[in-house]
Amino acid sequence: MEPSIVLAPGASESGLCSMLATLIRQTLDEDAIKKKVVGRMIGRIAIVAPDLDQSLTLLFEGGRVELYAGIVGIPDITVRANAEWIMKMSLIETTPRLHLPDPRGKVAREVFGASRAGEIEVHASPASVPLLLRFTHLMSVV
Amino acid sequence: MSSEEGFDFPSDAWTEAFKDAVNGNERYREAGKPWIHGAVAMVVSADPALGLEHDMGMILDVDQGVCRGTTLVKGMDAVAETPFVIVAPYARWRQVIEGELDPIKGMMEGKLKLTQGNLPIMIRYVESSRELVTSAAHVPTRFRG
Repeated sequence: MEPSIVLAPGASESGLCSMLATLIRQTLDEDAIKKKVVGRMIGRIAIVAPDLDQSLTLLFEGGRVELYAGIVGIPDITVRANAEWIMKMSLIETTPRLHLPDPRGKVAREVFGASRAGEIEVHASPASVPLLLRFTHLMSVV
Repeated sequence: MSSEEGFDFPSDAWTEAFKDAVNGNERYREAGKPWIHGAVAMVVSADPALGLEHDMGMILDVDQGVCRGTTLVKGMDAVAETPFVIVAPYARWRQVIEGELDPIKGMMEGKLKLTQGNLPIMIRYVESSRELVTSAAHVPTRFRG
């Protein structure tokens, strides 16, 4: 089944929602593996960008992704970071086979450093770690 | 119009000065080295209140950190073949040129819109994209309105 990426009513007015929807669509168009990855993703991920005064929720339903402006429902994962770091998270280097964040990568090290410094906050239960890793793979553009 | 007084934005003279600003931007030359994905157009949306009857596009023929040429065109049809197109109202471009709005942050806020082109590539070369657009801050500019 082809993944579908949809904006919830009102979400098209959010620049962040529109941009992430485009990013996910175009990423999936180019990558058959990521299509399979998104098919296995189930859960809610919230992203909060305080400097943009914007937040959004991505609802993954096994191949269908709906983006909402604001926090909708109870997220399994919440990422809170300024715009610059949200952008950089897409540039995290991943390992070739498992597509896990590569701790040797330049951007990955910067992002881990920012996490330690509290500039990036990721709230996720241990059960949500697979969703987080798949999300990292999905959003990676490198 | 001398450069000390500023070039009217947008205009052929401004667009030509933008090319010089891009090529004079050391950081763009470095960050843009891997860029082989074609030209980028910056389009100012029509705003009759400002005397802009049509969308005006500045096409930047950029390759590997060098701007090989620029063209000022009228209407969205004229940028249909341009690989990357960023559209914003006049006031937003003014903020970018005056250094008040980071273009990448502006895109994330929806203030600048990538209406054509591959966003993953744009993000992959985010520093190149930022330096390209912010080179406009080095062009002496006279604004409308």
